[in-house]
Amino acid sequence: MNRPQHTPARLEPAPPTSGRVLDAQLHLLDRQVIDVDGLPVTTVDDLELEGVEADIPIAAGAAAPVISALLSGPVLGTRIFGGRPPSSRLIRLTWKDVSAVDVTIRLGVRSESLAESWVERWIRDKIITRIPGGKHDPH
Amino acid sequence: MILTDVLGSRVYGPDATYLGRVADARFVLDQPPPGQLLAGARLQGLIVSPHSAGSFMGYERNNVNRPWPWAQLLKWWHRGSFLVLWADIKVMGPETVTLREGFSAHDPGLEGAGTA
Repeated sequence: MNRPQHTPARLEPAPPTSGRVLDAQLHLLDRQVIDVDGLPVTTVDDLELEGVEADIPIAAGAAAPVISALLSGPVLGTRIFGGRPPSSRLIRLTWKDVSAVDVTIRLGVRSESLAESWVERWIRDKIITRIPGGKHDPH
Repeated sequence: MILTDVLGSRVYGPDATYLGRVADARFVLDQPPPGQLLAGARLQGLIVSPHSAGSFMGYERNNVNRPWPWAQLLKWWHRGSFLVLWADIKVMGPETVTLREGFSAHDPGLEGAGTA
């Protein structure tokens, strides 16, 4: 990595904000997502931004982009070897469904309604239910 | 746009001066619109680090100083980090981020920047 040719000598105080401040790496990425019933859904592998395009000049005074979705997908390989999975392989969880950001990210909807939990649903419906006693809770 | 495309990008000033790499992105939660559970997360700006392409646990942005040797090492590693606001960003991409003429560098600290 090249050394920076210039580092700002003086830092101005951060502008005051009326709302809560979240840094993506510290507060969002890799956090576990919990549904409204407290069941784990997925982890946050990436974020989708709405309102900005890569390498397109931004007009002065343009509205700031917002998070449109939390993304999850097969990122283990790309984290080891670099890059990221194609956008089409990432599963989107819309920001509108998020109810709170804390140690975990909580949703206001049930995981049954989300695309993230399709593997779990498939295993339940195709494999677990065929095991004797697999269609009901243990006594 | 996918956020991790921007993380690690090289940041250049308006005169093509190399300033560092994007270490993180800062969002602010505004008032929630009707019918939405949580406020929209608006991009406030990018954290630029002159010495590293990422940030580990954000020691340089908060007052946590335990364990002391670890905190000192990480604060030193990320020395010189600063926040550039969205209004000062001219182009954002997976390779480079270019800032506008007369951009301001802000303190990246989270203390006093809201509850997080």
